[in-house]
Amino acid sequence: MMGRTMFIDPGRCIGCQACVSACRECDSHRGKSMIHLDYTDEGHSVASLPTVCMHCEDPVAPCAEVCPADAILVTADGVVQQADTTRCIGCANCVNACPFGVPKIDLQAKLQMKCNLCYDRTAYGLAPMCATVCPTGALFYGTAEELQAERPGVQIADTFVFGESEVRTGAAMVVPAERVRWPVPGGLPVVEINGEDVRR
Amino acid sequence: MTADPHAPGRRTVIPLDPSLAPPGTRGFRDAGGLPADRWHADQYGETLVPTHCCFCGVQCGMYLRVDGDGKVFGVEPRDHDINRMRLCPKGINAYQQVNHPERLTAPLMRRSRDEELREVSWDEALDHTVSEIRRIQEAHGNDAVGVLGGASLFTEKTYLVGKFARLAVRTRHVDYNGRLCMVSAAGANKLAFNIDRAGNPFADILLTDCLLLAGANVGECFPVLTQYVWGARDRGATLIVVDPRETAVARTADIHVALRPGTDSAFFNAVLHVVIEEGLTDASFLAGHTTGWEEVKATAAHYPPSRAAEICGVPAEQVVQVARAFARAPKAMAFHARGIEHHTQGVENCLAVINLCAATGHLGKPGAGYGTLTGQGNGQGGREHGQKADLLPGGRSIHDPEHRRQICEIWGIKESELPPAGTSMMEMVWQMQRGEIRGLIGICNNPFVSLPNYSVVKDGYDVTEFHAQFDFFLSETAANAHVVFPVTVWAEDEGVMANSEARVVKHNKAQEPPPGVRTDTWVMCELARRLGAGDKFAFDGSRDVFDELRRASAGTVIDYSGITYERLEETGGIVWPCPSTDHPGTPRLFEDGRTYHADGKVHMQAVEWHPPADPYDDEHPMRLTTGRTVAHFLSGNQTRRLGGLVEQTPRPWAEIHPSRGFRNGEPLRVVTRRGSAVYPALVTEAIRPDTVFIPYHWPVPTAANALTIDALDPRSKIPEYKVCACRVERAERIDEVPSPPVAPGQAAYPETQVSRTDPLPPTAPQGRGTSERS
Amino acid sequence: MTEPPEAPSAAEPPGADARTGPPGGPGSRRRGRGSLVVARAAEALPRSVNGRAVLAGTAVSALLVLAIVCGSRLLRDYDSALLPYAVASVFLAFGVAYRYTVWVSAPAARRLLARGWGSFFSADNFRQAPTAVPRMIATYLGFQKFLGARSHARWAAHQLIFWGCVLAALITFPLTWGWFTFTSGTGSGPGYEMRIWGVKILGFDALSVVGWVMFHGLDLAAVLVIPGAAYFLRRRMKDRGAMTGQRFAYDMVPLLALIIISVTGLLLTFSSLFLHGGGYEFLAILHMASVVFTLVYIPFGKFFHIVQRPAAVGMQLFKYTARRGDEIFTCRRCHEPIDTGPYVENLRGTMRDLDLGFDRWAEYCPRCKRVLRGNAYLSQVKKGFQ
Repeated sequence: MMGRTMFIDPGRCIGCQACVSACRECDSHRGKSMIHLDYTDEGHSVASLPTVCMHCEDPVAPCAEVCPADAILVTADGVVQQADTTRCIGCANCVNACPFGVPKIDLQAKLQMKCNLCYDRTAYGLAPMCATVCPTGALFYGTAEELQAERPGVQIADTFVFGESEVRTGAAMVVPAERVRWPVPGGLPVVEINGEDVRR
Repeated sequence: MTADPHAPGRRTVIPLDPSLAPPGTRGFRDAGGLPADRWHADQYGETLVPTHCCFCGVQCGMYLRVDGDGKVFGVEPRDHDINRMRLCPKGINAYQQVNHPERLTAPLMRRSRDEELREVSWDEALDHTVSEIRRIQEAHGNDAVGVLGGASLFTEKTYLVGKFARLAVRTRHVDYNGRLCMVSAAGANKLAFNIDRAGNPFADILLTDCLLLAGANVGECFPVLTQYVWGARDRGATLIVVDPRETAVARTADIHVALRPGTDSAFFNAVLHVVIEEGLTDASFLAGHTTGWEEVKATAAHYPPSRAAEICGVPAEQVVQVARAFARAPKAMAFHARGIEHHTQGVENCLAVINLCAATGHLGKPGAGYGTLTGQGNGQGGREHGQKADLLPGGRSIHDPEHRRQICEIWGIKESELPPAGTSMMEMVWQMQRGEIRGLIGICNNPFVSLPNYSVVKDGYDVTEFHAQFDFFLSETAANAHVVFPVTVWAEDEGVMANSEARVVKHNKAQEPPPGVRTDTWVMCELARRLGAGDKFAFDGSRDVFDELRRASAGTVIDYSGITYERLEETGGIVWPCPSTDHPGTPRLFEDGRTYHADGKVHMQAVEWHPPADPYDDEHPMRLTTGRTVAHFLSGNQTRRLGGLVEQTPRPWAEIHPSRGFRNGEPLRVVTRRGSAVYPALVTEAIRPDTVFIPYHWPVPTAANALTIDALDPRSKIPEYKVCACRVERAERIDEVPSPPVAPGQAAYPETQVSRTDPLPPTAPQGRGTSERS
Repeated sequence: MTEPPEAPSAAEPPGADARTGPPGGPGSRRRGRGSLVVARAAEALPRSVNGRAVLAGTAVSALLVLAIVCGSRLLRDYDSALLPYAVASVFLAFGVAYRYTVWVSAPAARRLLARGWGSFFSADNFRQAPTAVPRMIATYLGFQKFLGARSHARWAAHQLIFWGCVLAALITFPLTWGWFTFTSGTGSGPGYEMRIWGVKILGFDALSVVGWVMFHGLDLAAVLVIPGAAYFLRRRMKDRGAMTGQRFAYDMVPLLALIIISVTGLLLTFSSLFLHGGGYEFLAILHMASVVFTLVYIPFGKFFHIVQRPAAVGMQLFKYTARRGDEIFTCRRCHEPIDTGPYVENLRGTMRDLDLGFDRWAEYCPRCKRVLRGNAYLSQVKKGFQ
């Protein structure tokens, strides 16, 4: 995990989409919002989940690995950058390979775009736009120590499990203290679809 | 924005670029084609102007980004101690209003409503307004012209609205849209404490052990306040939410009381009942600092939990649970908002909460206290300095001869020249219907969307002989007026506002107004000059008005005399009362146990529950409640034009429980005794089965306020927005949201409106997920 | 200054090597925790790929030398003053071939290459849509329509650079390889003949318009390139979006190189026309040095996109072919289209090659992935605040 990174706590999220609007204000991709906000419990509750790039560390950024044009750069500080504009051919491999569903694509411009942790801000020590404005701290930017100082008793998990595979990420999820050693479920295997058990 | 993968004729012609990508990966939630979208940041020549958000009563600090040409082009978070860099989606998009293409830039006028509005010169518009006011007043008396203000104006301007109405128009009829907001809390606060403001600052929330939120959808209406709520919980506080809907804060609350709308006072009386039964009262506080306890106690005795369970439709155990959690907590706080205030017993509901706080001694201590969350940006400041029908600057009463004398002296008029009290906003509309008020000047309000029972409101305005309206976008109300004055947005003028904590904050001017646009101050002063009262309105700008306001408030409870622009800029805000320039302000009230009554006591008032004004019957068995959604503000005149917010929540919906048998997205007709409208159903378990919720930010034919009842609280005159009787039925097709009105000949921005016609409800009350239908 | 002065060293340019992805076949993946990205490319490049790449580079440069020798009629037509340029182009050939081999050895590129050429050589495809390939080449490689969707100004500037460079390349490479000769029957004009490989292609009058264009082709190219490159340079110094993560070596050097080449080239003409050759020697050396540098730089920096961009045509052709066959793959949960069936299959193959064990996940759209993950968090980690 990176030193200062993003911590996500869906339990605090109020689904207000301040992050979505703030993302648009980031100078590195002004006018375009990269963050995802999904209401995951539709029809039952107002629960919501913000999704920023998790900056995968192991395996190293699947998006970059499946890129046929070497367009996705991982900088030395562990930030998975958005596609290099000169190289990206708009094939959408990254869009569909990302286990977290992060990258977006402009089909007309033949260009992938994704959360780059507001590199124009984080490179200067500022927090990314979304975490700066998040009214609830569901998106928190800082070190794990800073997080725990503000929220006594929380733990973090930076490993997700997708089926048999584990993905360790540069950003992390907030988990209850007793869950610290467990990987966070990534949603695969899929157990049910729209209320229907699909485990067979 | 993106190619449709199901484009017709794909068998015949395949475009070279098949343009296929999964849903939600192609749309970028841009600013909806607004120029803001294309304003790129330049490395050089950018300045940050510190100011505050123009929207809700939290008054978050923000920087506006101004480019080398002096144009506002963006927003930057500001580490102000109210919000600590946090902003909500409204706040982030607020700057886009400043250079919005739909801004009004020339006065609009017509001589009768049969004509179209046309652009005229300022002189023509002002002269016509003055001659119409004179004509009506000569024929029907001074009181035949009314003035309606607003609580999104700077405090200086709200002061000026009161003075303008009484000294320039010389009418008793002046009121403002705060009447639709939190006047019930104001009434209750005056009765109990004789001071009209929240008792504790936001920061106290972090210190509390138990937080009670009653009728306050903090997550959507005051999103930035959530950080305080969560901060308290991080430190172990218990969260109790009283709300018919499972809102974002209620979802994870320790106790969520999903009571029936309109039963709050029964619930709080029952809580008090348990507190008394279980001996959890603070006897010494009651003995030393309150009056009326015996009556309150006697009334509470009639509300055992079983009765509350029946009235409120919640388990009796929950009443006990809440009572124990609140009363046993070493420090507890209660905050309420429109949910309990928008009732025909709004004042009583607030008093019931105050009684609970007083009985448990949770008042006036760090982490223990009581407050109301004001909804409008200047909801607090707007009610302080005389634009309310019965108040004069400094919160003085217009009935009190001593207060009248003081103000007449400050204003330099004879006491006989100061009109008596007027009527409330809704009552003024009724008077317009009856022909008692024939001319109206509206400043910063949009009653066509915000007042209840639209058909009455429309009728009242339509029969008015002359109507002038101040606004920066052509609101639904302004589009119906005779004269529309184009005025500044908040970032084009300076002034102060007071937030929910009664903290006075300074808004700074970030850019010059566009050509043709004037400040509200200038327009009011100019009208006053032409009405012959120019000597009383020799103000060059907000600073001059603020100086007079300081003098006018000196020595009152709402004392601004120690507050100066310079101090506000240095400190980031001062909480009144602040009687001298070396006074630090008063963030927490009642710390010495004394209220602002002469005897220094909390005047507890016994409260009886009574059913809402609109009776239920077989035709109207369900409860309709209305409220806000996070992406929009009040009547939506500002937010329905901002692409990002329209994209988030393009249209209203009717929220209904699955047990009612509707499918999500199905057209649902909601019928009340006043009207009906068809909305897409948002089917969710997060609402009571007997309740329907509709957000109110949209105009007819999708206006929630075409359905609500214009019944008023007898004391505060607040309309009962939060409950009325209704039924739901299946319908053929939903009513479409109209596009916001624009000035004749002006180019509307269709890109901001692309998703407005989306026939489906949002995914959740907070809006559409970012991948929905994109 | 392009690097933000306060930027932490972590943001320093890790160089072209930092790009992840290309190197390493299936066997070379390191699954060790904490594998460092920066070091990875160089370290993980397996011997076999490196060997193949060296071989390819050597072969291509040898072929080029051969072509130079033969094309200049055994060096009879060769202008020895242009030797450094020719040597640089041999290095360029080696570098490009080497980098290209490394690039297409990575699973994603290799598979796409195969799929792209497969569609290209499909007789069926050609019969059904004979114009597809030329149209795609014109759209994506020639007129670069996609750049217009990013920004009209950037499209215009890039078109200037592109056509300028194409013109310059068409003139200089054959010239420096001794393939072109201009001979005069009379020994000193004005009638000239242009010959390729010794064969006369056309004769022209040096004083005519054609003649002027023939002799000032490179000046024209420079006039096209300078405003284009200057626009990009200005943007890189001003626009905060463009500056994010910008690196001097990667982003600025190519622009500076183009401008220096163009300006010195124009000055050479200026010198010979108006200064009677004043400063010509110095300018010629400067010009040559910048050109040589640029040529050698092509395989390693930003200019490599020139070599890579045709992959866009292959990718598009592959998707287009599948789309014609109406093979749309839809999300298994929400049934919204994801992409074409063969594309999803190809992606899953790539993921398997890379040992990414969640290729099944590609059958779900990104939104459903997030919703399923959100639900899993709600049901298995925590429902609410604590």
